[in-house]
Amino acid sequence: MRVRRLVGLIVANLATQRLRAALTILGIVVGTALLVFFIGLGQGLRERVLNRIFPVNQLELEPRAVQVFGIEQIASDVPLDDARIAQVARLPGVVRAFGKQKSGFPARLWGGKELIGYNLFTEAFFDGMPAVVLRSELDTIEDVAAKRREAAARTAARCDVDLDCLAGQGCRDGTCELVVWASRFRDDLAIVLPCAASADCAQGVGCHGGRCGSGHSALPAEAAARCLLPESAGNGRGLEFDREVGVLARPCDAQGDFCPIAGSACPAGTYCAGDDPDTVLGWCEPPLPAVLNPLLIEVFNSDMARSLGAAPLASLHALYGIRFHVAFGDSYFAKDAARDRQQVKQAVVVGFSRKAPELGVALPLSLVRALNARFRSQAAAQVYDAVLIETLSNERVPEVVAGAEKLGFQLSRKSRAARTVGTVVFVTALALILLAFVVLLVAAAQIAQTFALLVHERRREIAVLRALGATRGAVAFLVLGEAAVLGVSGGTLGVALARAAAAGVDLAARAALAGVPLLPDGFFAFPVWAAPLGVAVGIVFCVAGALGPARRAAQMDPAEVLAQG
Amino acid sequence: MTPLPALPAAVERPGPATRVVAALSARGLKRRYQIDGRPVDALAGVDIEVQPGESVAIVGKSGAGKSTLLNLIGALDRGYEGELRVFGRELRTLSDAELARFRNQQIGFVFQAFHLLPQLSVGRNVMLPAAFGGGLTDGEVETRARALLAELGLSDRFDQNPAQMSGGERQRVAIARALLLEPPLLVCDEPTGSLDAETGRQILAVLADVRARRGTTLLLVTHDPAVARSADRTITLAGGRSAAGEAA
Ligand SMILES: Nc1ncnc2c1ncn2[C@@H]1O[C@H](COP(=O)(O)OP(=O)(O)OP(=O)(O)O)[C@@H](O)[C@H]1O
Ligand SMILES: [Mg+2]
Repeated sequence: MRVRRLVGLIVANLATQRLRAALTILGIVVGTALLVFFIGLGQGLRERVLNRIFPVNQLELEPRAVQVFGIEQIASDVPLDDARIAQVARLPGVVRAFGKQKSGFPARLWGGKELIGYNLFTEAFFDGMPAVVLRSELDTIEDVAAKRREAAARTAARCDVDLDCLAGQGCRDGTCELVVWASRFRDDLAIVLPCAASADCAQGVGCHGGRCGSGHSALPAEAAARCLLPESAGNGRGLEFDREVGVLARPCDAQGDFCPIAGSACPAGTYCAGDDPDTVLGWCEPPLPAVLNPLLIEVFNSDMARSLGAAPLASLHALYGIRFHVAFGDSYFAKDAARDRQQVKQAVVVGFSRKAPELGVALPLSLVRALNARFRSQAAAQVYDAVLIETLSNERVPEVVAGAEKLGFQLSRKSRAARTVGTVVFVTALALILLAFVVLLVAAAQIAQTFALLVHERRREIAVLRALGATRGAVAFLVLGEAAVLGVSGGTLGVALARAAAAGVDLAARAALAGVPLLPDGFFAFPVWAAPLGVAVGIVFCVAGALGPARRAAQMDPAEVLAQG
Repeated sequence: MTPLPALPAAVERPGPATRVVAALSARGLKRRYQIDGRPVDALAGVDIEVQPGESVAIVGKSGAGKSTLLNLIGALDRGYEGELRVFGRELRTLSDAELARFRNQQIGFVFQAFHLLPQLSVGRNVMLPAAFGGGLTDGEVETRARALLAELGLSDRFDQNPAQMSGGERQRVAIARALLLEPPLLVCDEPTGSLDAETGRQILAVLADVRARRGTTLLLVTHDPAVARSADRTITLAGGRSAAGEAA
C-alpha cells in the first residue's frame, strides 16, 4: 500500500516536468527503437526473405567435386542412385532426402508469343524433382490458400467452356472451378514418347504400339493400355478423361486440337500432341507442368524486356497457364537425336520456385526420368545429379553437412551461397544491434547526468521527505521509480517508433520495388518477445543510469540540506 | 497577546508522584562540525528537559545552534555526543530505519519556509507522511487530512495548488501535514519567520490550539520575543550552551 503511495508521488513528480521527461528519454527511445528495429529487420530478412529464397533447413548436396586441371570433376565414381539417397536420408538430423535428376539430352523450347508478341527461342534444360520438394513453395507463391478462401466465399457459376468463367477459373462439369496450378505438378504424370521397344521407355513402362506409356496407376491397367494405343482409341470413346492426371484419351488432329476419331475437340486443358509437329494425328494430352525460377522473370524485367521492346511483367501471376513448346532431342548447339526419336510437346507454366534451375525448367521427376530413359539410357534414368534434403532444424544443418561430407557430398553452390548470405545477414544484424546498445549506453550516461541534476534540484524536497519519515530506501525508490517509469515510456515509445519505421520502410520499399515479382509482404518480422524486450531494455538502461544519483539522494544528510536554508 | 488556553483535564500533567518519561531530556549534548578541517562546536554541552505537553521556546543569536539542536531532537541528525533522549529513547542508538520511523510517528516538523511540495495538491501534501508509515488505510488518511484542514480553517482547499496560497495558509497546510500521524512532539524552526506579525500571531494561535486539543509537546525556535513569550518557558542558547530562561 505504501509502495502505491510512493508510486503516486513518482507520477506527480513526472507529471510536473513532462517536457523534461520527454527530453530525458529521447536517447532511450532512439536506442530501444534501433534495437527493436534491427531485431525485426534481421529476423525479417532471415524469415521472410532469405528463408523464402533459400529455406535454411533445405539444402542441396552434390557429389564432391575435385579440381582437375582447373576443371571441376566429380571425385567419386559411385553412382548417385536410390541407395545413396537412402544413405543420406538416414543421416542424423535429416528428415527427408530426394534425388534431383537433370536432363542430359538436347532440347530446345520456344514460346511467349501471347505475352510479348513474338516467340523467344532457347536451348532448354530440365531438372526433375519430386512434387513434394516444391509443393509448399508453389502453394505460397501462387497463394493457393487465398484462392481457396475466395472460392469458398463464392457460389460456383454455371458454364459450358473455360471462357464462361472468371480469370483463374476453369469450367469443369458445368461449373466454374478455380484453377490451382500448383496441383498440376505431380509425380504420377504420364508422358507419351515414341519407342521401338520397352528398353526405350522408363523402367516399368512398356512400349505399346510404338509409344512409351507410363500409365497412371490410378487407371486400370487394361484401360490405360487401351487408351495409350492409337488403334484402340476408338474404343476409348467412352473413357472419361482425367484432367488432373492427364492421361491422353483419344487420338486427335494436331492442326486443330481436334480428335477425328472421337469426332470432338480435345478436352479442355489438353492439346493434340503428335510425335512431331508435322504429324497430323496425335493424342489429346495435357501439357507438361513446368515450374520456373522467379529469377528468370527478374532477369527478363531488368534487362531483356527493354532490349526486346516488351513491357516488364508486373506480376508472376500473368505467367500462370502460359504454354510453350519443347522439342526434345532437338538442339541449337548439340547434335540432334534421330528424327524419328524427336518429340515435340507442350508445356504449361504451373508455378515458380527458387529451387527450379535459374535458366531452365523444373519438371516432375517421373517425366525427366522417362525423357532420360528415352533420350539417354536406362542407366542415366536411374542416377541423380544432386540430393535435396530437409533437416530437422536450422541448428542441425552443420551436423548434417558434416555427415554428408563423410559420405562424399558437398553443399551445392546454391546452398553454399545461402549459408553465406544467412551468415552475413546474421552478423550484420548483430552488429547493428550492438550499435543500438552503444546508443543505449550513451542514453544511460545522459540519464545519469539528468538525474544527478534532478536530485540536486530536489535536495531540499528530499530532505523534507526524510524529515517526514522517508527512509533512505524510500528516497532511492522514488528516484529509481521515476527512472523506471521513464524507462517504460521510453521503451514503449521506442518499440512503437521501431514498428512505425518498419512499416514506413516496407511501404517505401513496396513503392520503390513495384514490379519486382515475389517481394515478401514486408522485410520485418518482430518476434513476440521483441516488444517486451524493448520495454525491459528501456527500463534497465534508465534505472542503470539513475543508480548513481539514487544512491547520492539516499545518502544525502537531510539536516545539512535543511541547514542551508 | 492572549495567553495560551489551559490544557484540558484529559491531558495528564506530570505530577510529583507519577514518574512520567520526559518528552525531551538532553545532558551535555554536543554537536561538532568540521569547518575547513577545523572542529567547530555548534553545541557545546546543552542541558534541557521538557515535559510532555510543555511548550518551550528556544531563542538565541543567529548561529547559536538552535537549528542544530532542533535537528538533533527531530532525529534528523545522529552525530552528537552526550545524552539525548526523546520520549525516553536515546536517539544515537537507533538505526537509520528506526530513526526514519521515529521521525514519521513521533515528530512533526514545521519549517520557516513551509517546504510544501509544489507538484502536489494541498491534500496530497498533508497526506505525505502516510506514504512512509502509519498503517492507515487510504480512506482513513484522507478523512484525517480533510478533518485537519478543516480544523486549521482550510476546508475546501484539499485540491488546491499550494502555490496559490498565502504564506499563512501554507504554514497551516504544513502544520496539518506535521499533525497527520498525530506525533506527540512538534518541532517548529521559526514557524513565523516568513510571515507578517498578524499572520504570525494567527499561526501561534493555531499551534496553541493544537497543543490544547492534543497535548502535543511544542518546541519553537524563534527570534521573536513575542513568540517566545507565548511559550510556557524559554531556553536561550548562547555560545553553544543552554541557559534556562524564565517561564512565560
Ligand atoms: N551542516 C553543517 N556543517 C557545518 N557547520 C554547520 C552545519 N550546520 C550548522 N553549522 C554551524 O553550526 C552553527 C550553528 O548553526 P545553526 O544553524 O544551528 O544556527 P541557528 O541558531 O539556527 O542560526 P539561525 O538563527 O541563523 O538559524 C553555525 O556556526 C553553523 O555555521
Ligand atoms: Mg536556524
